[in-house]
Amino acid sequence: MDSTQAIQAFDARVESALNWLRDNAGFIFDAVRHGLEGFYNATNWLLTTPSLYVVVAIFVALGIWLVSPRFGLLAGLGLLACNVMGLWSVTMDTLALVIAATVIGLAIALPLGIWAGYHPKLDKLAEPLLDMLQTLPPYIYLLPAIALLGYGPATSLVATVLVAIAPALRLSSLGIRMTPNEYIELGHANGIAPVQMFFKIRLPFAVPSIMAGINQSLMMAFGMVVIAGIVGSGGLGQTIYEAIRTLDIAKSIDATIAIVILTMVLDRLTQSAGTKKAGAAR
Amino acid sequence: MNANSADAGEVLIECKSVWKVFGDKAPQAMKAIAERGLSKTEVLREFDCVVGVSQANIQVRKGEIFCIMGLSGSGKSTLIRLLNRLIEPSGGEIRIKGQNLMQLNARDLRAMRAKHIGMVFQAVALLPHRNVLENAAFGLEVQGVPKAERQRIAASALAKVGLSEWLHKMPRELSGGMQQRVGLARAIAADPEIILMDEPFSALDPLIRRQLQDEFRQLTKELGKSAVFITHDLDEAIRIGDRIAIMKDGVIVQTGTAAEIVMNPANAYVAEFVAGISHMHLVTARSVLCPVAEYQRSAPLVDVYALSRAAPDDDLQALIAIMVDASDHALAVWDGAALLGIVTARALLKSVQEKPAYSVAET
Repeated sequence: MDSTQAIQAFDARVESALNWLRDNAGFIFDAVRHGLEGFYNATNWLLTTPSLYVVVAIFVALGIWLVSPRFGLLAGLGLLACNVMGLWSVTMDTLALVIAATVIGLAIALPLGIWAGYHPKLDKLAEPLLDMLQTLPPYIYLLPAIALLGYGPATSLVATVLVAIAPALRLSSLGIRMTPNEYIELGHANGIAPVQMFFKIRLPFAVPSIMAGINQSLMMAFGMVVIAGIVGSGGLGQTIYEAIRTLDIAKSIDATIAIVILTMVLDRLTQSAGTKKAGAAR
Repeated sequence: MNANSADAGEVLIECKSVWKVFGDKAPQAMKAIAERGLSKTEVLREFDCVVGVSQANIQVRKGEIFCIMGLSGSGKSTLIRLLNRLIEPSGGEIRIKGQNLMQLNARDLRAMRAKHIGMVFQAVALLPHRNVLENAAFGLEVQGVPKAERQRIAASALAKVGLSEWLHKMPRELSGGMQQRVGLARAIAADPEIILMDEPFSALDPLIRRQLQDEFRQLTKELGKSAVFITHDLDEAIRIGDRIAIMKDGVIVQTGTAAEIVMNPANAYVAEFVAGISHMHLVTARSVLCPVAEYQRSAPLVDVYALSRAAPDDDLQALIAIMVDASDHALAVWDGAALLGIVTARALLKSVQEKPAYSVAET
């Protein structure tokens, strides 16, 4: 049939385009891959080099400081439970993946978001793109990444970064745009320079919104990192994926519990960091 | 409300035929106004542009408090923002201390705003994440004054508005009146000659408002500042202003002292506004006297030098007292050695007689 032929021709084109990219720009993707894996390994090294008790103690301290003493202790117990289940090392792999992806995502999203906040036209342009990023099933991001970067953490990093960008970009742009007009006027009436306007007026008002964006990006990253288990991300995602494939339900539930604990701890920590800042600004 | 004190001073702010037209086609609209003399509604219909301020002429002298009074939509808030170019004028000339505001580049304009023009807003706009002292020091901080020095200056500005005890409180811990005092301290901390007050007391309750009005007037006079004060409240304008400009639909319909405006409203609109204002406090010998020659035409036999004497700034109470004591029908008003004119009993009575309003005043 005609349409089948057309589709076959299309598939062949895509195939050859990917091959061409791999043959001619392979060195670029290799470099990207090495860079991403290097960053991931460095983050992982930071989390696994100290004794697990040191890492747990840091989380307990952060929990007590940012949320409450009760939360700090519960977070500590939860993380120790991950160790008891024999999942400490993969839990840290996942944490490293999430942190690395969020850091890269924020490094892209925050400057762009702030830029977009200053330029409503750019914001309008970015809006449909971000909508698309957020509505496509996250699985889709694995396809181009695995085609070009291969099986491993680099691919899952790229996919995770992609989903983490949207909320941080949107909310930082919103934060910058929402500076109350009377404060803009106050700045101008005092002869403020543009750089001062950003740091002394716009940014303090945008902090709560930006922090909410960071929190959401982190949560999106967690979601993606589990899915990315199927491309060999390592960590809990892969543990769950492999346990499901071998119908080892008990093990997959252990890993699920570990990921729930980790997600809740990071969610509460970043949320409280946000409201703590916001509380200072209200 | 002493009209004379401001007369001699140098002109700090001068607006000559200033226009502001809002809209995408403002330049074309301005051109059409200049060439064809379009009215406000015609401009709106033809160019979809709103005339905010049309042909405003004002002069504010050193040491003077100049009130701009108008209802919402009269263009008063636009006009005050033209004075420091928060809004770009569409036409005309604005001079601050003799410098043409339109010829300043971005850097000079910032310096002008930072050093010479303070501003106080109706919304106060205290930065919520800074304490009172840091808020008052904001203008100096923007100018790059070192921290210790700017805090010292800000603390002394806060002392002037009676907030020495509150330096380290956060804005949300202060009442509305106190917040506005911080706003005022912030404006005077940078020691500008000119203070722009954009309806600063409108949101406060009446008692606090009157207190702040008196304090503001006293402080401004003490520091020798000039102020442009926007208000929608005629009582406030009379209480604070040395001179008052009344705006309607972007046009300044009358400029003068409180007494001039209340006793000789320029048109029906102003008359309607001032209808409810008691003349009692506004009458001075100067405002009701008639020239000596005119008096002598009606009373040729009276020796004006033998009449009881009054000073030009004597108010109604004082004039009545002198007149009752002397049992004369007229008083001679002397300013030192100069005979300014004659106040007759009839003129006094006329001055306190309620004028029939042109129409019923809104309250």
